[in-house]
Amino acid sequence: MARPHIEPFVDRDVSFKKMTLPGFPKGMQYKMLSLDTDNGACSMTVLFEPGYKQPPGMSYTEYELFIMTGSITVGDKVYGPGSYFFVPAGVTIGALTSSRGATGLLFYNHGEPSFVESDSDHPRAERNRLATINAYDDLQWSSTNFFPATAPGCFVKILHFDPRTFGFTFLYCMTPNFWQDNISYHDCVEEAYHIWGTSWMMQFGDLPTGGYFYRPPYINHGAFGCKLGTLAIGRTDTQLYNHFHFNPWTNVEENRERAASRLLHRNPELYKWVNNHGHNHPVDFDFDHGHQHGDVPHHHGDGQVEHKHKKKPRRRR
Amino acid sequence: MKSIPHRRSREVVAWLRKEDAEQKKRYRKIVQEQDALEPKRNKWVADFLERIQTRGTHIHYDQMRKVRPEEIPTKPKRKFRVVF
Repeated sequence: MARPHIEPFVDRDVSFKKMTLPGFPKGMQYKMLSLDTDNGACSMTVLFEPGYKQPPGMSYTEYELFIMTGSITVGDKVYGPGSYFFVPAGVTIGALTSSRGATGLLFYNHGEPSFVESDSDHPRAERNRLATINAYDDLQWSSTNFFPATAPGCFVKILHFDPRTFGFTFLYCMTPNFWQDNISYHDCVEEAYHIWGTSWMMQFGDLPTGGYFYRPPYINHGAFGCKLGTLAIGRTDTQLYNHFHFNPWTNVEENRERAASRLLHRNPELYKWVNNHGHNHPVDFDFDHGHQHGDVPHHHGDGQVEHKHKKKPRRRR
Repeated sequence: MKSIPHRRSREVVAWLRKEDAEQKKRYRKIVQEQDALEPKRNKWVADFLERIQTRGTHIHYDQMRKVRPEEIPTKPKRKFRVVF
């Protein structure tokens, strides 16, 4: 199992624990929000104690950090509430300190938390993907541009977008008295944490400040309501498409089947090709791709899609 | 490169095992709490099914349509699960 359906979970109900993993300096505490038991990827609320000092270093997996309260200093720059970092695997960031302490959210996307002291990037690091932004000061709210869209009164700020998977990280807010009377599910994983405010969903009840969910695909959620407004951070792993309906009792299998039917009707040619072609690893020639069984990721710069790979010789017994 | 191959130390493996056990406990607690919420949820669902016939259900952004009584789904006999 990857990550289970964690919904709802309120981190205010549990205490911080000391981070004891090798490499991490003293003075960092965490609350586990969700954990992928296959690869160790996880989402955590973190507390940097006043006086926290972390030398320059890197992680073996890409991670995202969002500062909620207090401030941290990286190198010689101070980052306060709303600061967001996307740090690719192997990219070294400068010394991180927090003189008065800070709290934040830390997402390790493809592996367990790791910290390796280092002055330079790992040879496989992709520094060009490093991104930092202050989500509160540097971005403005915009309507969701999904189709079909959420009801009026829900706004987003996109913090990070993956051009290959269309997965994204975003701030969202619901205005006071926001409501949406339908039931929704998605083809993607959806994860969110309430920075401030309480919202309500028909399945799960109230999700207050500190409320969190990690929701695998095709799980019903909604109708929605929010009396006083909410500020939250959300993430998906692939494109977010709103499958709206009004049957409260459908299950994951039924929702998935319905999504596949919608795919058939929206993209009939592609659906037919995927279903019948027999080529089980379609290639996007804009990106590197690899195959299972240890094949090295490679790129077909000529746009060649119909390629064949040499079969590995069979071992004789 | 989403993750750089590396070897996990014993401490890391032990940490993951401990966190996994705690997460299982957390999951069970969530399921219990959500099961206990069922009477309230049934009322919320009844209210929702009423509203979508009178005020309408959201189709896209501010577009809504009223659902006809014959379109209202009936509750299946199976357990009403919200956590999967």
